[in-house]
Amino acid sequence: MPSQPTTLLQGTLDLLILKSLATAELHGLGISRRIQQITGGTFVVKPGSLFPALHRMEEEGWTSSFWGDSENNRRAKYYRLTKAGRKQLETESKRWGRISLAIAQALETS
Amino acid sequence: MPFFPKAASFLRNLFLTRRVERDLDLEVRSHLQLLIDENRRAGMSPQEAQRAARMELGGAEQVKQQVREQRLGDSLHSWISDCRFGVRQLHKNPGFTLTVVLTLALSVGANTAIFSLVNALLLKSLPYPHPERMATIYTSIIGPSAASDERHNVNGEQWELLRDNVPALISAVSSVRPSGVNLKAGSHVEYVQDGRVSAHYFDVLGLHPVLGRNFSEDEDRPHGPKTVILSYSLWRNAFAADPGILGQTILLRSDPLTVVGVLPPGATTPLNADVYTSLQPSREGEGRGTNFRCVIRLRDGASWQEADAQINRAWLSRPGLYELAGNPGAKVSYHLVPLQKGQTDLLRPQVLALMVAAGLILLIACANLAGLTLVRMLRRTSEVATRLALGASGWQIQRQFWIENLLLALIGGVAGTAVGFLGLRSLLLLLPEHFLPVAGAPLDARVMSFTLTVSVLTSVLFGMLPALVARKVDLRSSMADRAVARAGSLRLRQSLLAGEVALSVVLLAGSGLLIRSLTHLETLPPGFNPNGVMVAKASLDDVRYHDPAAFRKLLDESTAAMREIPGVQNAAVGLNLPYEFVGNDYVMLSDGKEAGQQGGADWTYVTPGYFNTLQMPVLAGRVFTDADDLTSQHVAVVNQSFARKFYGGSNPVGRYIDKDLFNGRGILIVGEVADVPISSGLDPVAPLQTEQTMYIPATQVDGQLLALLHQWLQPDWIVRTTGPVDGLTAAMQRALNTADPNLPASGFYSMKDLLARTLATQRIEVALLGAMAALALLLSAVGIFALVANMVAQRTREIGIRMALGSTVGQVMLQIGRSGVNASLLGVVLGLVLSAGALRLMSSVIYGIGVYDVTTILVVVFTISAVTLLATTIPALRIASIDPARTLREE
Repeated sequence: MPSQPTTLLQGTLDLLILKSLATAELHGLGISRRIQQITGGTFVVKPGSLFPALHRMEEEGWTSSFWGDSENNRRAKYYRLTKAGRKQLETESKRWGRISLAIAQALETS
Repeated sequence: MPFFPKAASFLRNLFLTRRVERDLDLEVRSHLQLLIDENRRAGMSPQEAQRAARMELGGAEQVKQQVREQRLGDSLHSWISDCRFGVRQLHKNPGFTLTVVLTLALSVGANTAIFSLVNALLLKSLPYPHPERMATIYTSIIGPSAASDERHNVNGEQWELLRDNVPALISAVSSVRPSGVNLKAGSHVEYVQDGRVSAHYFDVLGLHPVLGRNFSEDEDRPHGPKTVILSYSLWRNAFAADPGILGQTILLRSDPLTVVGVLPPGATTPLNADVYTSLQPSREGEGRGTNFRCVIRLRDGASWQEADAQINRAWLSRPGLYELAGNPGAKVSYHLVPLQKGQTDLLRPQVLALMVAAGLILLIACANLAGLTLVRMLRRTSEVATRLALGASGWQIQRQFWIENLLLALIGGVAGTAVGFLGLRSLLLLLPEHFLPVAGAPLDARVMSFTLTVSVLTSVLFGMLPALVARKVDLRSSMADRAVARAGSLRLRQSLLAGEVALSVVLLAGSGLLIRSLTHLETLPPGFNPNGVMVAKASLDDVRYHDPAAFRKLLDESTAAMREIPGVQNAAVGLNLPYEFVGNDYVMLSDGKEAGQQGGADWTYVTPGYFNTLQMPVLAGRVFTDADDLTSQHVAVVNQSFARKFYGGSNPVGRYIDKDLFNGRGILIVGEVADVPISSGLDPVAPLQTEQTMYIPATQVDGQLLALLHQWLQPDWIVRTTGPVDGLTAAMQRALNTADPNLPASGFYSMKDLLARTLATQRIEVALLGAMAALALLLSAVGIFALVANMVAQRTREIGIRMALGSTVGQVMLQIGRSGVNASLLGVVLGLVLSAGALRLMSSVIYGIGVYDVTTILVVVFTISAVTLLATTIPALRIASIDPARTLREE
């Protein structure tokens, strides 16, 4: 597992957070671990990047939060996608698809 | 983009800060706890688990700060906290804050007050429809012997030509100023101001009566129907807003007039009178002279060029160019002047000079404040360095200073507005009635925005300097090179001070010249004995006194009754007294080698006791007697200036003038008296001067002339007493009433009062510029004081060392005080150089002294030196209380 994760592209973190919340409501650490898991360990999101992003996205109205109990009965703040968040995930995914396709194309030609 | 959640977050972040913070704190803590749990599950020991978790979190406070920084409304938040910090800083330095706010309040206040005047006089448009289509007309005479470029109003002939031959204009004329007369309606008696106006006067102003109508052309003809229009306030107050007022008769000057109209509420006219009567202008009587004030309005569709051409055609063909009498080779020209400019022309230079003086005050205040904030900034170097070290950006630090300056500017601006309001009130109280051609000087939106701009600009000006210095602060220099920065800032502060002192010198010298000039005017040799004279004025603008016999009876009986008052030595009546404004006319010398010569002379009527009552020395011949009346030879007494001007100083007694008058009998000069200072209307070069004057017996003035004279001037009853007499004015009023029970005196004056009335403008100038100069001096003193006090505070340690090494207190005081003294000395020199140029502009308003008046300069230099000495010594005295042993231990 690379300890120094790849530098995140602008917007990538948002997309990853939205994606990780697409299937379940998670708390901060849960989101972090989920991202680690779905990217095969390529991205490790530190709290210093995670929390500002989470709060910003909540202010944007993409996520909402509530206090709940964790698996071992700890109080934790959970996040879930809102309707706007799901729409945002959709547009972001499409955009990302286009970008990665374009980048791949660009790398192939030469 | 969803708007609602954003707005909700914004408001929550702004107003529920504590809840948002607690939530964040809990979240970060719970995150840490979850990490610890995770590590424990992975088999770590409790200590290890905690250590690893903390490392992964990377500092709870940093994480929270990162969240805070991207919150909505974060920048607003930091502005608010900067403001809070600023307020705390200002609160912590009450001395600094108070000095700055007071300085701002005084300087901004002075500017607000003066600008209100400028606004009211020069900027606010006149309260008439389309003021740009309105104007007034002046004539001026330029010629070999016409000394002044004085402006004249128009005469009857010019008026008739203007009215009949200039179709491009609606023209109207009025009396030059309203006259005080007695109004009687039923049992109601009131002293009111009567403005006499021609037909179409209110049409030119665009005023329509709320009741009735304007004057008709028929009423405007000589001997036309006698009618009156009331102002709205008089109608309300004196007639209880009687809707049936039209057609009623009221008595004005004991003359019955029919009310034909009431003006709308709040209507202002250039005369601002209580009642308006028909002027009935003609070429006769007052129409012989330039006694009509003209207002005109351009007709719709006409242009100023057309109007100009038409006036040219009408006026230049005049047969009787009166202006050329006794002034051969002169040229007459006329000027169309926009109404506002025409009304304020005389005051404009004074008001603008005051505005400049107020601007100088502001500059001085700026220099002072820059010095103060600079010192404060330097004192805070360590604070700045600490904040820089903790990661604050240069911008954040700059912003803090700007916010503090703006806070000061706002507080100072509010205080300045209050000071300006009070200043303006007292200024308007100081002015005599009808001194300003406007009803008032309100603090309107324009004045308020001016004040705001000035205070913010001031704050920017004085805040700029410290902010620039702050930019240069870096960690290293702030720790090591404090002495260097200080030396540089000392020189900067000294130059600022020198500038302040220089401007103060200019203002002081200017007000000094005005004071010297006023003193000169007030101490002119009077030529009579002004002590023990009491004056009563009363309006004889009354049809009953158009009859010379009734007039003579009034004079004889009233003066006889006044002589009966115990303690009164003598009593007399004169149309004018010394110091007062005197009318004038042309005289023609009729005999000897001067025969045929013409010239202007002042002219007044007096009763026989006049010269004796005033104790005016009779130099030759005799004064008047009761035998001089309408049936006897017309006689005159002239003064010394008259004899000098017309007869080369030889004895004028026995000479004849105006031989063409009175069936060829002319006027015989029977006596010569000493000169007295008067307020001239003939050739004014100073507010008070001696001029060729002719005295005529009151009993030799015919009825027509009496009516004319009393329209303009109220005669004076004078008594001479040996000492103070109890109830003298009441006794004089009773004496007046024994001759006419319906004749109230309009006022009682001592000769000193009359002198003060004539010199009102000069007194106001002295008061205003004096106040400005005092303010400048005060600000400079504060500046010097602050500089030296600051030096003492900053260099306590150095002083301690010097004293420990054997310096005496005196030596150290000299050393420290020198900084203030040097700056002040440089300022004085600079100020004198500036004055040399600036004071020349004052030559037209000072009398009896030169612009480079040695006394004034010496007094100014002495005053500044004394103030400098005081302002450096007081703070330097603290040096005596410095204990070297203690200071050295403390540092």
